[in-house]
Amino acid sequence: MFLVLENVVKRFPPRGGAAEVTAVNGVSLSIEKGELVTLLGPSGCGKTTTLRLIGGFEVLTSGRILLDGVGIDNLPPHKRGMSMVFQSYAIFPHLNVFENIAYGLHVQKIPEPEVKRRVRKVLELVNLLGYENRAPNQLSGGQQQRVALARALVMEPKVLLLDEPLSNLDAKLREQMRTEIRRIQQELQITSVYVTHDQIEAMTLSDHIVVMNQGIIEQIGTPEEIYRHPNSQFVANFIGRANFIPAKAKSVQGREAVVECYGKEFQVSCKKGITAGTKGVLVLRPEMLWISDREGVFKGVIKRSVYLGNAIEYEVAVDGASLIVMETNPKRMKLYARGTSVTLDAYMDLAHFLLA
Amino acid sequence: MLAIKRRMQEFSLIGRDPVLALSLIISALFLFAFIVFPIAQTVWSGFFNKEGQFSLTYFARYFDSYYGPVSRQIFLDTLTMGVLTASGGTILGFIFAYTIVRCRVPGKNFLHVLALVPTVSPPFAIALSTILLFGRNGLVTKGILNMRFPPGSNDVYGMDGLVFVQIITFFSVAYLILRAMLERLDPSMEEAARSMGAGKAHIFRTVTLPLLIPGIAGSFLLLFVEALADLGNPLFIAGNVTVLSAQIFLAIAGEYDYQKASALAFVLLIPTLVVFLVQRYYVSRRSYISVTGKPTGGLIEEKEGWIRWPFIIVTYLVSGLIVILYVAIIYGSFSKAWGIDYSFSLEWWKQMFQRGIESILDTTFLSILATPIAVLLGMIVAFLVVRKQFSGKQALDFTSNLGGAVPGTILGIGFVLAFSTPPWFLVVFMYVVLFLFTLGILKTSIVEKVTTGIVGTLLGIGFFLGGSQIGLVLLTYFIAILSLGFGIYLILTRPKKKNGIKLISFGIYAAFHTLIEYVAQPLMRAANTIPEGTWKNAATQFPDYVQVFFKLPHTILGCVLMILIVTIALQEKPAFRRILVPLFMGGSFALIFGGKPLALVGTPYIILAAFAVRSLPASVRSGVASLQQIDPSIEEASSIMGADAQYTFRKVTLPLIMPAILAGLIFSFTRHMTSLSAIIFLVSAKWRIVTASILSEWEQGGISMAAAYSTIIIVFVLIAIGILYLVSGKMLRRRGGIDITWGA
Repeated sequence: MFLVLENVVKRFPPRGGAAEVTAVNGVSLSIEKGELVTLLGPSGCGKTTTLRLIGGFEVLTSGRILLDGVGIDNLPPHKRGMSMVFQSYAIFPHLNVFENIAYGLHVQKIPEPEVKRRVRKVLELVNLLGYENRAPNQLSGGQQQRVALARALVMEPKVLLLDEPLSNLDAKLREQMRTEIRRIQQELQITSVYVTHDQIEAMTLSDHIVVMNQGIIEQIGTPEEIYRHPNSQFVANFIGRANFIPAKAKSVQGREAVVECYGKEFQVSCKKGITAGTKGVLVLRPEMLWISDREGVFKGVIKRSVYLGNAIEYEVAVDGASLIVMETNPKRMKLYARGTSVTLDAYMDLAHFLLA
Repeated sequence: MLAIKRRMQEFSLIGRDPVLALSLIISALFLFAFIVFPIAQTVWSGFFNKEGQFSLTYFARYFDSYYGPVSRQIFLDTLTMGVLTASGGTILGFIFAYTIVRCRVPGKNFLHVLALVPTVSPPFAIALSTILLFGRNGLVTKGILNMRFPPGSNDVYGMDGLVFVQIITFFSVAYLILRAMLERLDPSMEEAARSMGAGKAHIFRTVTLPLLIPGIAGSFLLLFVEALADLGNPLFIAGNVTVLSAQIFLAIAGEYDYQKASALAFVLLIPTLVVFLVQRYYVSRRSYISVTGKPTGGLIEEKEGWIRWPFIIVTYLVSGLIVILYVAIIYGSFSKAWGIDYSFSLEWWKQMFQRGIESILDTTFLSILATPIAVLLGMIVAFLVVRKQFSGKQALDFTSNLGGAVPGTILGIGFVLAFSTPPWFLVVFMYVVLFLFTLGILKTSIVEKVTTGIVGTLLGIGFFLGGSQIGLVLLTYFIAILSLGFGIYLILTRPKKKNGIKLISFGIYAAFHTLIEYVAQPLMRAANTIPEGTWKNAATQFPDYVQVFFKLPHTILGCVLMILIVTIALQEKPAFRRILVPLFMGGSFALIFGGKPLALVGTPYIILAAFAVRSLPASVRSGVASLQQIDPSIEEASSIMGADAQYTFRKVTLPLIMPAILAGLIFSFTRHMTSLSAIIFLVSAKWRIVTASILSEWEQGGISMAAAYSTIIIVFVLIAIGILYLVSGKMLRRRGGIDITWGA
């Protein structure tokens, strides 16, 4: 493992009447060389603090951080050999594009021809050749973002830290930069830690996603694992949308279980460590449900229907609860009116059993 | 217990960041020595008579039947003057601001500059020109209207004249505050009100005015304090009316009664301090408008002529008056005999240069010298306040502003009281702080710390006693040689030359404390060969100026040495450190306590300190404003790309706060050149100040001389501003998007 966090804790002392805050509460994490790991979570979950701890901008309260097997807790940021892309870009307003990107190389007193060559290379990589002499305030948001990225890449860092780098861009540009960052990261094989609160960003970019909540890690996994087999209702809700249906485990075999739900039994996947007889919920993604003409799994009444173009979204009242149904099959796109009694069918074998 | 533990942790954290620790200790010591300590002295001595017994004599006078009526009248007059000035100034400031921001007035920039001129002119300029124009022998009153003033008739002297002068002098402050607020008022709020069908007057009453209330209240309070603190105008134009600041001045200049002056100063301090606190902690937090933000896009412009024109006309009339007032000063300085013969004459200028060249040069020299000190200190304080977390931060911020906020007379009295004789308490305090700091920051065991401290102090007492035998001059030479020796040793044995060079530089500098006299004396002899006159007077000042750079008070020299040794010791091995630290701790002990430590009255250093203290708030404010605009992640970006704190400061922070530094330089220099109340008691035969010269010329009836002096101060200040604009224009040309953030 290349970058390791061991039981990292960060508390901020009380300040100005505010009580002591535990921003990160025992985070352990291992990142392999060359992979991109996303820290994902709602605001205030400790993801940015974790990133800043890795970067050395905050001092650990307890725990250890190891880079390539060596403890780096006591190293100041400028000795960690990392680089960072900031949410605000943090481009030096008094330097032009070239000087901004060459800044770190100048710190290292690298000879000028070499500096020029390396800056040229990264400018090519981010498609900004010809912009060397522009002042930062003459650049668009997207271009500033590329400068910030280029400035971080030119250092050939051991670890690249990215703190919500795309949150200041508009939706179209965000999508484009997302792909570009992933392309460059894979091309250069840079170990990267990426902080975001945007689940789509996390899904499209990451080798692994770390879902955080209230200073602790809820789940670590590949995007698919996180979506298919969430560890908790929080994760299931945070990544994508989910219906939670009360259920009870009848028998468990490893990560497979037979559960009872609305009087019927289904074979589903389940969280590790669940024992038979446990009460819990089934996670059913809205796209796993559809309205069926034949007999289905649930019976309900349409409460709300929205035509989205590529899909139809229904809210269906079932036994007092509400289920969200996302109809994506173009062949079945018949808009049911409010109040219609319908039968819902579901891919119950794709459902996932969780503790409530 | 927990709190103590946290302090300890914090102390060790600060120790990990020596730059922070050093800047904190230096600025804290300066602020304590030259702001807190003198003010405390003033307050204290109001309660003790010459024999040192507790006495409430002067406070009791407010209540007895003999002195009571007069004392109370003065207090009442002071408050009346303050309230009238504050109201009038705020109204005038509002009119100017509204006209310039919203009335599409022709000549906007000209009006803006004109409104600021009173802030950069000497304290009694307006009073002087008002008298020149409207006094008993005034150009308007006597020359044009041919009015006569028999005794007892109402003339310009008195409350009415004083309030008029104070309003013109101080309305700029209100103008700046209200202009900033009007510009940042989101126009969509007024548009929203309009879309709901509200009329003009209704909107102004229910939306615009309430949003401006914090600004109006703020400027009222600031003007009130400024008017109360002002000394120059009341001395000139108050006539039979006495206000507190003048009463304090007269208690010292006339009666030489420091207890009375201190007691009165305390009476003046209370309303000032209350207002300062209210403004700082109440009004400024009630603001609905962020004052640091950029002006929002479209501004509302007044279209109705019946609103627009009255504003424009009033603004232009007052501006015309201001122009005339300043022209009158210049005219007055070139008139043969004001009131009798208005013909052109260079006589007053010739006389001024002959008699006053020393005070002009002294003032300019000391003002220039104090400027970088004040700005550097201001930037350090601003940096600590904005970027660092430590306990006592509020106190640091507060104190740095206090020096400029309290009336100058209070500070001036405090300086005289504190620094006429050695302030032993302060000296001991400074040594103890440095001592604890040195031991605290060294990374060693408790045993070694205690041993170092004891050995160092014992050595210091030894040096001190030896020094009192051989004299301070030889002692200084001895310490200089010691530093040179260690410096050379370090250079020869260490791969990094930096520490050696530091010690050698200190050694040379300390040696020059006396050696400089061998440079100054020949210069003085040469100057004395020049024939009598202006040039000789100027030339004989020069050797003194050279010496100012080298003859720092021994106590300061000792503090510098101690701090220097700490920075060196942090990078040295224990074995060497165990010799170095105690030895030099002893050396600085002897320097700090040698001779008459910090008996600064009569030296130029006390004037420098007074200047710096007075202009500090402006530097701090402009520094804070510009640092707050710099995203901290810009500095972090530099750091993660491999730059250490120094490199980051040099290449990123410094260029970005350059505009604030330049603005601070302008402000500080101006403030120094024009300050009166804080330094009037500190002027000596050797070190004279123009504002004091103006006052004494005025007292002797030399109104045209006073005008000439005032003109030259205004010219110097304008030249300085011009130079700084040129420099800043060149330096900042490349930086789009950064404009000079005024510290006002």
